Formats: sequence, C-alpha cells, structure tokens
Amino acid sequence: MMQSLAKAIAAGLFAVVLASGAASKPLISAEAWNAYKENFLDTSGRIIDTGNGNISHSEGQGYGLLLAYYADSPPDFEQIWSFTRTELLVRDDGLAVWRWDPSKRPHVTDINNATDGDILIAYALALAGARWNRDDYTAAASRIATALASKAVVAHGERLLLLPAVTGFAAADRPDGPVINPSYYIFEAFPLLAQLAPQADWTKLSGDGLALVEKMQFGPRQLPTDWVSLAGEMRPADGFPGEYGYNALRIPLYLARAGNPAPALVQRLRKQTTGPEDSLQLMTFDDAGPGTLLTDPGYRFINHLVACVAEAKPIPEDLRQFRPTLYYPSTLHLLGLAYAAEKHPGCL
Amino acid sequence: MRFAYIAISAALLASAYLLGGMNRTSDSWTPGNAMTGTGVQQAAASFDRMTTGSTGVAPKTDRTADEVEIAQVTVGQPAPVTPPTRPKVDESALRYFARKGDTARLQAEISRLRALYPDWTPPEDPMAIPVNADRELERMWQLYSESRYAEVRKAIADRELAESGWTPPADLLDRLSVAEARAQLTNASDLNQYDTVVRIGAETPSLLTCSEVDVLWRVAEAFARTERPGRARDAYLYVLNNCNVPSERLATVQKASTLLPATMVEDLLARERPGPDGTMEFDAIRDDLARNLVAEGDNDATITVPPQYLGRVERLVESGGSASDALLLGWYYLRRNDMAAAETWFRKARGIEDSASASQGLALTLIDRKEPKEAEEVMYRWRDGSKDAQQTYFAATANLLAISPPLPLTEEVLARIASETISGRDAQTAQQFGWYARELKQHKTAADWFTTALSWKPDDEPSAYGLALSRNELNDETGVAEIQRQWADRSERIARLGETEPQEEKATREKEAAAVARPAVRTAPAAVETAPRAATSRTTQGAVRQRGCSFTVDPRSLSPAVALARGWCLMDMNRPLEAARAFEVALAAPGVKEREDAAYGQSLAYLRAGLTSKAAVSAARAPQGTERIVELQSAILRDRAVASFNAGRNRDTILILDQLSQLGTEQQDLMVLKGYAYLNLNRFIDARRIFQALAEAGNREGAKGLVEVRRAQFKGNQN
Repeated sequence: MMQSLAKAIAAGLFAVVLASGAASKPLISAEAWNAYKENFLDTSGRIIDTGNGNISHSEGQGYGLLLAYYADSPPDFEQIWSFTRTELLVRDDGLAVWRWDPSKRPHVTDINNATDGDILIAYALALAGARWNRDDYTAAASRIATALASKAVVAHGERLLLLPAVTGFAAADRPDGPVINPSYYIFEAFPLLAQLAPQADWTKLSGDGLALVEKMQFGPRQLPTDWVSLAGEMRPADGFPGEYGYNALRIPLYLARAGNPAPALVQRLRKQTTGPEDSLQLMTFDDAGPGTLLTDPGYRFINHLVACVAEAKPIPEDLRQFRPTLYYPSTLHLLGLAYAAEKHPGCL
Repeated sequence: MRFAYIAISAALLASAYLLGGMNRTSDSWTPGNAMTGTGVQQAAASFDRMTTGSTGVAPKTDRTADEVEIAQVTVGQPAPVTPPTRPKVDESALRYFARKGDTARLQAEISRLRALYPDWTPPEDPMAIPVNADRELERMWQLYSESRYAEVRKAIADRELAESGWTPPADLLDRLSVAEARAQLTNASDLNQYDTVVRIGAETPSLLTCSEVDVLWRVAEAFARTERPGRARDAYLYVLNNCNVPSERLATVQKASTLLPATMVEDLLARERPGPDGTMEFDAIRDDLARNLVAEGDNDATITVPPQYLGRVERLVESGGSASDALLLGWYYLRRNDMAAAETWFRKARGIEDSASASQGLALTLIDRKEPKEAEEVMYRWRDGSKDAQQTYFAATANLLAISPPLPLTEEVLARIASETISGRDAQTAQQFGWYARELKQHKTAADWFTTALSWKPDDEPSAYGLALSRNELNDETGVAEIQRQWADRSERIARLGETEPQEEKATREKEAAAVARPAVRTAPAAVETAPRAATSRTTQGAVRQRGCSFTVDPRSLSPAVALARGWCLMDMNRPLEAARAFEVALAAPGVKEREDAAYGQSLAYLRAGLTSKAAVSAARAPQGTERIVELQSAILRDRAVASFNAGRNRDTILILDQLSQLGTEQQDLMVLKGYAYLNLNRFIDARRIFQALAEAGNREGAKGLVEVRRAQFKGNQN
C-alpha cells in the first residue's frame, strides 16, 4: 500500500517540470571554489563564519553544501555533509541545531533550530541526491523537509507562515508573536520541499510569504526589517534591531534566484538599498539615519545582479571575479555568481 | 536493497532484538555516475526511485517510540536467517591497526569481525599481518583511526572521481558509517535528544556490541528517560549477558540503579557472576544500592523498602558497619513511627559514633515513649548543631517539665535547661517552667517564667492564665486585674478567675497541670492526647523534616565539635562556602584529630568552591595524614594546572603538572593538558611525545592531539 501511494506521488512529480540546466562545466569555477574552501572550510567539514567568532551554523553548512553542489564537487559535499550530520542533525525532531561553537563544550549550547539552515541543507541534499544518484542524500532531505512541514510551517489566520525556529517565535511564545524573518523564505527551495514533504502546502506558503514581503514597507525607505511581527498590524518585531540589515539584504538575491516572481518588489528593494558608489545601503527603521554602507563585493553584487536580470545591465568587471573576504558576503557572492552563470550568462 | 550485513551473527541478532526492527540502508552507492544535467528535475526523478523502492531506500520518516516497540516484538521472533555462505572477510583494518601497533583497536576489530562472521578465524599472530600495499587506502585508514571522518569521506570520493572502477572496501565504508553514527549518537545523548539516540541505535546495530558499551549505556539511558524502563533494562541486560569487562559490568549496574525502579535493578543483579576469589561481583553495589534505597525511604515515608535491602543494611551495621548505616535505619523506622526499631538503630549509631543526627533521632524516640529526661541528656550536647537540633532539645525540655507530678531534677539539669531556654527564647519551655514551679508552690518563680514566656510569645494564653493564677496565689490583685483586662475578650477562664470556690479552683488547677503542654496542639484542640505526647508528635514531625543543616546558623555560635559535624553536613548539601566557615570554627577544637579533620574539610570545601589558593592555606593549618596530603595536593595542583592553562600560562602549567606527576597521579586528562601546553609553546617534540603516549594507550584525545601538532607544525612551516 505504501508503495502504490508513493508511486502516485511520484507520478504527480513528473507533471511538475521545473528548471533544469545541463551543466557541462560547474556553475562555480574550480578556482573560485578553491578560494572559498581555503578561507571558510575546515577539514572537519565545518563552514567557518569568519565574521562571527569562527562559529558554525546550520545556515553555513547549508550554504556550503549548496556551493559544493554548484562546484560539482562530490568530495567536498561529502566532507561538509559528514560534519553537518554528526554534529548538527541531532535533534529529536530531525532538524539541525542551529549553532556550533568551537570554543564551547559541548559545542552546541542551544538546541533550537534555524529554519533557513534546515531549508538550505534539505535543498542542497535533494539537488545533490538527484544529480549524483545518492538516495541517502534524498532520504535525508526528505526527512528534514518532513520535519519542517510539521514543525516550522504554521497557519496564522488565513495565511501559512514559516516560523524562523521551532521554539520562540510562535504566537504562543511571545507577545508580538508570530514573528517571521522574511529572509528565511528561500523561495527557490519551496517547489522541491513540496515534493519531498507534500503534507504541507508549500505553494501556498510561498505565495503567502511573497505577499507578506511585498507589504513590509517600514521606515523612511519603505523596506522590510529583518524580523517582523504579525501579531496585529504588521510591524518590526520587538527586541530586534529594527533594520533592513544583514538578514534582509538576502531577500532580493533569493527572489532573483527563485526566477524573479515579484519583479516590482525586487526593483524597489534595489532602488532603496543602492548607496553611493554602488554600495549596499542598509536602513535603520528607528532613528531614520542614513544606514550603513556595505562595500564588500559580495554585498554589492546583489543589486547589480538584480539590475542585470531586469534591465540586462552587465555586472561590473571587478565583481565577476570571486575574491574571498568574510564568510557571509563571500557566500552570497558565490550564490549570485552561480545563478548568473546558469540563468543569465550574459550578465557576466 | 543491498544489506551491508549478509551474515548476521548471534550477537547482532541480539542487538537487533534489543532495539527493534531496522532496515539497514546506509548502502553503497555507485560512484562515477555520469553527471548529466542538474537541478530540480533530477531531484524529482530520484524521489521516484526512492519512494517506489526500486533502489530500496525506505523513506525514513520519524519513527515513533511505539513503532520501535512494535518492531521489536516482531524481530524478537527467531528470524529466518539465510545460512551464510562463507564470507570474504575484509582484514584491511586489522592490518592497519596491527602495523600501527594499536593493540586496543586491533582487539576491538577482531571481536567485531568475529561477531559479524562467526566462521572467521582471526590470524594467529595478528601483528604479523602484512602491510596494506595500497598507500591511499592506508591513508584513509589512518584518517579513520584519527577520528577524522569527514576527511575519510572526502578522500573516498576524491579517489572515486580520480580512479574509475575503484570502490572503497565495504569494511571501510561500514566502519565509517558506524563511527559517524557513534559521534552523532553521542552528541545527541549529550544534548538529551533521546529519540535521536534510540533512532540511531536502531539504525546501527553494530554500535550495540560489547566493544561499544558507552553507546549501550547511552541508548539505555535514552529509553529510561523516555519512560521506557523495560527497554532500558533490556539494554543493560544485554551488557550483563554478553560483555565481560568487570569494570563495565559494574558500571552498568551502577548506572541502571540510578535510572530504573528497584525491581528491575533486581533483574540485573541476578546476572551477577562469581569472581575468581569467590566474592560476587556486585557485592559492593548491592550494599550501596541498599543504602540508597533506605536513604530514599528516609526522605519519603510512602516508600516501602523491600525487606532484603533493609536486612542488608542491618547486617552491614551488625558486622562492624558504620554509624551512618545505622542512622539510615533509625530515620527509616522513625519516619514510619516504628519507634522501638528506630530507637535500637539510633542507639547503635551513637554506640559507634555519637553525632547530632543520632542523638536527635534517639531523643525523638525517647520523647515519644515519655522518657524526656533521657532525651534531654542525649540532646544537650548537640543542642546547638542546628535549628532542628535545638527544636528537638526544647521538645525534650518542655515535655520533661510538663510531667505531673514533677520529676525531681538536679540543680545542674534545671540550671542548664533554664539557661538554654533563655538563650534560645523558647516560650514553650518557659511556660512549662512556670507550671513546674507552680507545682512546687514557687509562685514567684512561676510568675517570672510565665511573664518571660509571654514576652516571647504575647498571644500565649496558657502562660497568661498561669501568670494570673500565680499572681492570685501571691495576692497581687492589681496584677490579676491587669491580665484579666488584657485578655478580656480572649480567655473566658482568665476572666472568671476568682469567681470560683476554692475547692473548684483546685480542680481547675489540677486540670491545668494536665494541660500544660496543650499550646502545642492549640490549633487542634480536639486532640485528646496527654500533654507531653501532643507536644512530641508535633515537634517530631518538624524535626524529621528539617533535620540536617538546612537552616542557616552562624557557626561562630557553635562548639568546635558541632561545627565540624555541620561542616560535613554542609559539604553533603554542596554548600562549600558555608562549610568552610563551619570548619573554621572547628579548627579551634582541642583534639589533634578534630583539627586535622577540620583543616581537611576546609581544604575540600575551598576546592569545591574553586578557591584553590585558600584550599592550599587550609591544608597547611593542621598536620595531615600522608594519604590526605597526596589527595589534597593533587586536587590543588590539578585545579591550578587547569586555571593556569586557561589563563594561557603554559610554562606554569607544565611546571605544576610536573609537580603533580611526582605525586604519582598523572591522569590522562592532565596529560592531554600538558600536551596542549607544550603545543602552545611550539614545543612540538614534547607535545608529540605526550600525545603519542596517550594515543598508544587508546586515548582518543591523544590521536586528536597528534593531528593538532601536525597542523601547528604545518602552519609553522608556512609562516
């Protein structure tokens, strides 16, 4: 009975034909990937957040797996996955603990998860499992997706929401709950998650999420903040810096990578966050100051990518080459480059 | 589906039984498949393969506890196992460990292969096994032996890409999966993720063998902590039925005894084996177990301790046991109102070694059987030990004075009771002094005591009544009127004083004498008990509940002997700083032995509080026995070594550890510290020597340390 059910599901999957791109050469060059590894990958398989006390987290492991996949490197994928599995995937519900600190014993001091990290890990596993015929990866992806469906996807009124973590953000957990993080919506992953864990309505979650992000217009420049309360009227969540910050700056990148489902939103974000000399300008909601200017190539790449996708403006020469700086902007840079290489090679 | 284990040995079957049915699916995957295309479409296709089972990976959903249980039942049936064809046994790991001279791992590998392949015969001289000819494989085994599993994974995948047609030995893949599963299970267990622990155990039967007893313990604990004690017991039973290392067997029962109900622990104890010297292997544990059970019974009167455990502790006392064992029994029986038995054991305890606890227990039983005189004598010495001891003492004194007709008491006894009553401001005893004096027609004295009692407890109606009676005897009409005014609304008998005929008044007085201790049951006036009994039962309960050193007392008010006992009691309660203060007082004891104890206790207290330098000072305050000197110095040096290492003082760390090794207590964890101290000083040769020795002793930190040395050297060369 189990098998016939599975067959029925599988038959449905064939109907969903999604993006494909036969890669003759890797989307991330060997040179760029080697530079990334040298700077951010420990031999233990741990991606090191060099801007953050050299800790590791589920997000970093997820990014590492995804980048290894784009670099067509099963060995590196194996290495990163080994660490991810043995050190982070220990929670009873099948999700990953979010933070791993080399200076603490045990290395994990908070067993909560981070939903974006789980999504990235499941997404990378599903992609790699398919390309490299690794059923164990696919099975692991399915396990994480199933746990996400039951623990992180919740109904709130008419909407489906993605909770940033299993603990601490729901309506019952805090007075301004539910609180969401718009940059945890990794839209490109939702179609795959829908196939891995069909018990949740990922299509609705994706659509609801997009509608929410479009409505998040706070502060002087009408931008989303990193953390948003949905308790009543949508507003920046309590207890977090009310800013379009290091979390939110990924939103246009993720939207572009997801096939640009909301072009107007993405262009608005680009306009409102382009600072002097193509820097990326953050925004503080409260004091309405000018906002921090980020000049790291990885950050600057985001608005250029968005501009190229919309208006075919070529990306400046100096940003086409990957130069590692810190973990986070370097990761975003490679994700952007991989996307441009696959879908908009003319931008490069 | 390709099972990694074709032949399942009896041991593995047993472990499968232990954890329930499992599909072993960490299967080999064919490397070097053409990487055609990318992305989501393929992902979709691969789910199809997966879910239709054509490649046999069952969807791993969260298996609930119940499903594991059910699966267990089915697997529990004797499963038809295909008779194994003679398997080809992969001995490459064996060869690697043999060449490295790693006998511990070699033996573990031999027993693992034996469990897997019952027909396999290990080579007669494993050390003579030829070296692996394959260098790259050799390197993979080396990484494996250094617990660098992610790097092994990478090395395998690298080689598969580079060398088409090469497949890793099944043994390496298998061991790697098991090692990763072990790491994952251990991490989950450290974070109390018990479902994960059980799940990984179920998926990895080869972790559930005697060579992985730590994993078995963790799995057992996971069952116990998720309210599956039966499964936990089975896991512990597995160890006792199959594993032979004596220390691990002992530890198994010890761990089980903290997690399982007593009846299940009995099941485990039944697997006891006789030792070579004829003693039974769990004897020591049985004693501790019995003590723990009786101690639990001391704290909770609803627990019934099985007679064999009570009997065991009783026999321990009879055969020259300790006062503490006798005390356990005394309090156990006292909690259950078996006063005669309690008295017996408290007396035995005092016979071995007098203590506040033993005296208090005995005093309570004596008060109960209306022997307050002896109770007072017994408690007098210990009255200051704690708030609780003082309450017991005053229960004795109040009851003693309340006896009618009054007992003749010596001047000395009366004087000391009076003195204690004043300093302890005990209104109850003061009141009883009043009635006692009144019985002896010392009305002036009686009036003074009643007044005193009222000054401490202004709402004490019996004292007010006693005072009124006494003033009446002394013809102090103004005084009587004053009391009558004060108590006008509150006491009918005070108001009516003087109205009655002399004859009736005498009757009233006699009645009053019987009611002297009534205040203790003021809240329950319906209780028709004799006065002393009423006073006792209330105090008894209070005393039992609060015995020990839970009350805060300024130790400077205590005698050195009492302070010493209190110090140890506070140590038991893990209140080291208060204990240190109590020991400070005890250091003034006249006896050499007591002072030594006090200095020793204070040292331990400071050590526990993390105040190493103070501990060192304390240790020097009284001469200590050799053994204690070594113990204290080791502990002090150890703390200092860790502190100086953490502070980055690597040279000091090494010096301290050298001192420590001269005491003959060079423990492995400290050697690790020393290794890292050397490493931090870039003394690679010394660091390597230490880690090498540790690694040879089978210590994992040793292997890790060697890796660190190599890394550091490599970095050094680069710079």
